[in-house]
Amino acid sequence: MKVAAYVALVLLVIPIQIVLLDRISIAGIRPDLALVTVCLIGLYRGEMETVLAGLAMGFAQDLFSGGALWGNLCLKPVLGLMAGLARRNLVNLTWAFVLTLMLGLSLLSGSVMYLLKSFAGSGASFFLAARGIILPQACYDAILGLAALKLIRLWKPRRTPLTAFTYE
Amino acid sequence: MISLHSIAGGKRAVLLLLALLITALLLLPESRQEPVLALGRHMAAAVSIPLRALEWVNQGIDGMWARYGTLQHVREENFTLRQEIARLRQENTRMHETAAASTRLRDLLELKERLPYPTVSAQVVGRDPSNWYRSIVINKGAGDGLAVDMGVVTPAGIIGRIVKAYDRFAIVLLLIDPNNAVTGLVQRTRDEGIVEGTEKGLTRIKYLPLLSTVKVGDQVVTSGLAGGFPRGLPIGTITKIERREAELFLSAEIVPDTDFAKIEEVLVVTSPRESTQLPPMPFPLQPPARRDAGDQR
Repeated sequence: MKVAAYVALVLLVIPIQIVLLDRISIAGIRPDLALVTVCLIGLYRGEMETVLAGLAMGFAQDLFSGGALWGNLCLKPVLGLMAGLARRNLVNLTWAFVLTLMLGLSLLSGSVMYLLKSFAGSGASFFLAARGIILPQACYDAILGLAALKLIRLWKPRRTPLTAFTYE
Repeated sequence: MISLHSIAGGKRAVLLLLALLITALLLLPESRQEPVLALGRHMAAAVSIPLRALEWVNQGIDGMWARYGTLQHVREENFTLRQEIARLRQENTRMHETAAASTRLRDLLELKERLPYPTVSAQVVGRDPSNWYRSIVINKGAGDGLAVDMGVVTPAGIIGRIVKAYDRFAIVLLLIDPNNAVTGLVQRTRDEGIVEGTEKGLTRIKYLPLLSTVKVGDQVVTSGLAGGFPRGLPIGTITKIERREAELFLSAEIVPDTDFAKIEEVLVVTSPRESTQLPPMPFPLQPPARRDAGDQR
């Protein structure tokens, strides 16, 4: 059942990312819905599930990307794992925490993607990439993360992630 | 009820006298009633003042009632008209969309008929899932005869090449992506070079001979030497020439003829070497779109 739910999630998130997110792009920058989803899975469901979901989503994302690198396949599980580890030291899942976490993980993801692209030979200056893609996308991801958290709380208000005190 | 018995004697006599007087006046012939009528006119004039005031109030009430009734009607009419406007707007938008789509498809069909190469038409269904690559997803794939490295064109010019082909989808890396490169030719001078994308969302032709007479405004087309494009397909217009010291070649910035933000239907050239014919000239079926570099991501 859980596997089916994750398969459905991957089959929903990636097409939305490819087809619909262009409609909400700001100055050509789209949020990374897969990153936000993986981080939220990490926060709510733990490391193992987020790593597996991250692998599936990263792989699907790379399949439909014009890039030859498997950057997302490697990055998404790591980002999910970091979110899952952050959850271990968490007492309350606050807005500020989610905002900071999403912002940080998206900045990290953008920087790694820039490095991977630079190694592949198509290097622009880091300053240009940071100003044009990394920072705006991180802000967008953080806002989307907060919106997703709000939706989750509206949907299941009493459902809180496992905390440092309840985690076994 | 007033009884004459209850009225004092003097007053009773006056009342009787008045009654007799009025009776006598009424019995008088009409010609003799003039003084009474004059009195009546004055009285009527006096009464007419409050009468007019009351009439004004009455009219006001009537007006208010009528306006209320009209407003009720107008409100209903307004509601109906608003619904009608919304419906017509939707219809208008739909018709505009249909008209635009039919224009695009007609251009594409004309291009398909005029190109002397086998092509497959496809629709753009999505964009790159990351912000790091400039690519599009089209709804035709290996199952439709598409393969990696095939060139993709629109009526305005070339847009890129296929980098991944799945059974029902293919990923097209756009010409403006820095990872993409095609062989190009300056149409006027016949100088050849490599056209590649830039980080600014434009394209650039590299490795032009140092002594080339290339100038701003020259058209660049595909050379057909390598890659999935036949010869002579438009790429863009040179807007800036870069001459750097100690470099053996020239390079020039090109503004592509295609608006990459608005691609909806494309043609994939499945076999660029099948015909030796050049594409008909003038090639572009629609005027090249000019826009700022910032729109092209």
